[in-house]
Amino acid sequence: MEIRLGGFLLAAAAALGAPMLSGCAWLHRGAHHRPVLVGARTPSGAAASASARRRHDTAIIEPQVTRHIVKTPKIKSSDFEIGPYFGALSIQDFGTNPLYGARLAYHVTTHVFMEGYLGRSTAGTTSLQDVFPNITVLSNSGKHFTYYDLDLGYNVLPGEVYLGRGRAFNTELYTTLGMGDVKFANKDQFALNFGVGERILITDWLAMHMDVRDHIFETDLTGRVKNVDNIEATLGFTVFY
Amino acid sequence: MRNALMLALWLATIGAAAAHAAGRHVRLVVTRPYLNMHLGPGRAYPVFYVVARGETLTVLFSRTDWYKVRAPRGAEGWVRRRALMHTRLPSGAPAPIPPYPDFATHHWEIGAGYGVYNRQNLVTAYVDRSLTRSLDFEFVLQQAFGTLDDRYIATIGLRHTFVPEWRRFSPTAGIGTGYQYTQAKVPPKPLETSNQLAYVSVGARGFITRRFMWRFDWRSYVVFTHQNSNEEPEEWKFGLAVFF
Repeated sequence: MEIRLGGFLLAAAAALGAPMLSGCAWLHRGAHHRPVLVGARTPSGAAASASARRRHDTAIIEPQVTRHIVKTPKIKSSDFEIGPYFGALSIQDFGTNPLYGARLAYHVTTHVFMEGYLGRSTAGTTSLQDVFPNITVLSNSGKHFTYYDLDLGYNVLPGEVYLGRGRAFNTELYTTLGMGDVKFANKDQFALNFGVGERILITDWLAMHMDVRDHIFETDLTGRVKNVDNIEATLGFTVFY
Repeated sequence: MRNALMLALWLATIGAAAAHAAGRHVRLVVTRPYLNMHLGPGRAYPVFYVVARGETLTVLFSRTDWYKVRAPRGAEGWVRRRALMHTRLPSGAPAPIPPYPDFATHHWEIGAGYGVYNRQNLVTAYVDRSLTRSLDFEFVLQQAFGTLDDRYIATIGLRHTFVPEWRRFSPTAGIGTGYQYTQAKVPPKPLETSNQLAYVSVGARGFITRRFMWRFDWRSYVVFTHQNSNEEPEEWKFGLAVFF
């Protein structure tokens, strides 16, 4: 009993005395503390001791875990559509000729989209030239029929088409209306255009288009000022991204 | 032929990128009693599948306001943005559905329109970046179709919206500078083909619906020339735009 009481008193004395016995080497046997104890004998050394202890304390509570940043992948949007088209353009008074071009569309809502077109064709000869082959109506550079259009499109009839028993494709019948530039006979003309098209989604990112559009502009190429209709029928493919 | 080859390569690259992007998808847990899946991206397409509360959807991609999703048993269909708002990430965090762009605080506009420049038909396209709620920076490309010549005009400018809180109609005023390129349609050639210009403008803008807005602008230009006097054409135009 006495031994236990003695042990308890000794422990209590050690605990209470430890702060007061900062110079006691026995109480600070740890390798980290030895240099501090030497400095602790001078007044400036007391500050050094305190800062060292703070450093020591910081080292103890510093977490050893690396922060794990959770990144949620973004949902990919696929509102743009781009691709080439090919077909035929009937240039009024100059026959029907091959046409090629490209389009870029941005789908704003499920119904409305904005679209830009660039297209080119080369005019043939007029009927007049069949009768009088020596007449020149268009120079070589003037034969190019080049246009750009800025259109607003509206998906009128969404639906599905079926191929065989097991395949279904989403489709949209749309109309477009817009304006732009037609360069023909080396002259730029302000042109209006309107059209109807069908978009068939072969996959989520690939679509096939069938379009009929009319480019209307004013010209005096054949001698009198008139509005001419230039109707095109095209087949195109687009990629959604 | 070379162009066609380049185009084919480019399309293949986009296709490959699309396939690669399909690797990581967001997974969302349904928190409402059920969620309808449509056959296509539109309300007209019939509902063919219903996902129950607590089930996890895989979101493949979005197109306008619709999201293509895969149900737990593999069925793929389309879900409206509004319906997808009632889902959560498996961790319990809100679904990462971007908020619908607000007209009052939008950042970008892309638009096109028709106008008249110096009594000539005008086609215009523009991009607009909001610097503050009432101050915008705009970049405009225009083509004017005249009888004697065509004008290609590119301008940059600042535009102030007086009361941005007025949604349906809010007056604007602007100032800017740019270049005009003149291409003759009939001889003789113009004395100067490239001129710097400056303008002041007044106009208005308004919200239409969803992400659409309209703009009207009247501009007074000064085209700087080396002649005795500068040109001072006027222009008005009306355009439709989409904001982001």
